[in-house]
Amino acid sequence: MLSVENLSYTYPGGTEAVRGIDFAIEKGEIFGFLGPSGAGKSTTQKVLIRLLRGFQGNITVLGKPLNQWDDSYYEQVGVAFELPNHYQKLTASENLSLFRSLYNGDTLEPAQLLEMVGLSEDADTRLSQFSKGMQMRLNFVRSLIHKPELLFLDEPTTGLDPVNGQKIKDILRQQKQEGRTIFLTTHDMTVADQICDRVAFIVDGQITLIDSPRNLRLQHGRRRVTVEYHHDGTSAPTQQAEFPLDGLGDSDEFLKILRTNRIETIHTQEATLEDIFIQTTGRSLT
Amino acid sequence: MDIQRIAILMGKDARLGATNFMVLYVLVMPVVLSLLIALVFGDLLAQTPRLGIYDASASEQFTRPLLDHPSINTTMYDSEEALQSAVERGSEEIGLSLPAGFAASLEDDSAEIVFTAYRWGEAGVRNLLLLESAIARAMTAGIGSSIEQLPVTVNAEQIGSANTQTWSQRLLPLLLIMSIVLGGLFFPAASLLDEKRDRTLVALTSTPTSLLDVYLSKTLMGFILSGIMGSVILLINGAFVGQVALLLLVIALGGLMSSSFGIILGSVSKDMDTFMGIVKGAGILLYAPGILKIFPQVPEWIGRIFPTYYLMNPLLEVTQNGAGFADILIDIVVMVVLVAVLLVLLNSVIGRQQQKLALET
Repeated sequence: MLSVENLSYTYPGGTEAVRGIDFAIEKGEIFGFLGPSGAGKSTTQKVLIRLLRGFQGNITVLGKPLNQWDDSYYEQVGVAFELPNHYQKLTASENLSLFRSLYNGDTLEPAQLLEMVGLSEDADTRLSQFSKGMQMRLNFVRSLIHKPELLFLDEPTTGLDPVNGQKIKDILRQQKQEGRTIFLTTHDMTVADQICDRVAFIVDGQITLIDSPRNLRLQHGRRRVTVEYHHDGTSAPTQQAEFPLDGLGDSDEFLKILRTNRIETIHTQEATLEDIFIQTTGRSLT
Repeated sequence: MDIQRIAILMGKDARLGATNFMVLYVLVMPVVLSLLIALVFGDLLAQTPRLGIYDASASEQFTRPLLDHPSINTTMYDSEEALQSAVERGSEEIGLSLPAGFAASLEDDSAEIVFTAYRWGEAGVRNLLLLESAIARAMTAGIGSSIEQLPVTVNAEQIGSANTQTWSQRLLPLLLIMSIVLGGLFFPAASLLDEKRDRTLVALTSTPTSLLDVYLSKTLMGFILSGIMGSVILLINGAFVGQVALLLLVIALGGLMSSSFGIILGSVSKDMDTFMGIVKGAGILLYAPGILKIFPQVPEWIGRIFPTYYLMNPLLEVTQNGAGFADILIDIVVMVVLVAVLLVLLNSVIGRQQQKLALET
């Protein structure tokens, strides 16, 4: 679906934002592109959506070199930017209708899209009266209007409350089930962990690691279990013990704690994506 | 370039532009000023062409159609002196002195028709054309011949200076520049600046719409508005006369010039404040030829320094002096060159805007 080989991009001022990165995305995959601000993830996305020209390297999208695509590229590709960009004097429905009319192919009804993100009741409200969260939802759903094969989404859940954030994640999973490929740029590791099939970490314009969140957790997490308990079932302060995950069932001490104490929590020591990011790159995401 | 998308964007721009205060102000202002000027200087209420006749031969056959003409105010005079005096005062724009025997010469196909026509020097071209047409029709009424077939000798005499212009005529150049240039300039610029502010430009270019489509739609809207505004101002001022096709050509070139300039300004301006600053600061360069025309004593060559002169001058030449294509060819060539230069600049500006979009998103 998308392959990038040795991609580099240098801005006119001389700043080298992306330095020889390689990755490939399969059809129907949700690919998370993770990194702190200034790491090169937005630059990469801008190159991939043809906003930035003059890159070095080879990019193939939908079976064709990127620099051979013309504006018909956007019939196959949907883009949602990090910041909302709508006509503030038009209503939500009018905004979607306008953008819908710019495509030649099959498109979705604005009402259907608004329903997907819970904006049906605000269909006839001018965008100037929308909150940022509402504008973000409209931003996201606008990228789906022409049923694109490939979606480029930049921080699609930013500014959303947990309920609406979950709604967007559910829609993304649904899109994946329908065979769409999603390139997700984010610094929200939780979102990436929940919905991405694979993630790439980018720092200082270079990809340091690519794998599935599960594999990363397994590879970089500690294979240990932590138990929090109250001694002898009393109300004494909580105590904590840690055991190796391997051979846990044969650990007499672990079994004794389970039998004789009131257990508060038992957790495996899996690393979060954020922990792994910090561990592998030596950088934080902020 | 996709014509359907350009049409869709123009529809959107028309709708959004209708709620933009600055655009409305620029469009309404020249019309309001025209009406005010016409009201103050009387042209709006005294548009009817005025004809005076001294008839020494009682040629009812000729004078009756003119007296009954619904669009002409015809007055009979008892003496040639009274008629001359009326024309000199401007009470009549044309005065006809019909000698004895005039009626008989009309009825005799072979006889030469001789009369004297006094023309008020400040009479407008529109009224003169209307009067001349009505006189020709009256002369041939009931004969069946066309005016070209009649042996007519007119002793024409102008009374008053032809260079004397009414205030409406003096202010017309400024109004024309305001309507054609500002109408064409403001709409594309304001519309593009709104798109930049709301980041919708990048949203549009992330669809199959190209930046060229967006720029063309705005330039065309400016061009159309400019044409409408220029024509409306000419109509309101009773100046849509002479060769209408030539007027439309000049207005079209002026519209293209101003809308291209407008979209370039909108593109290079950071925001509306910057754009307004440029217009306020450099606006005098646009208005200057119109302002200079208010003062006839100012040498004509000064106006030629400013680009808008080449829009204003041919319009005035056609409407006020009845000029033809050959008379205004130089002005047209200069305008074509200016438009070509602006279009080359526009092409470069679009390329730069594409880069800026990527950096600012």
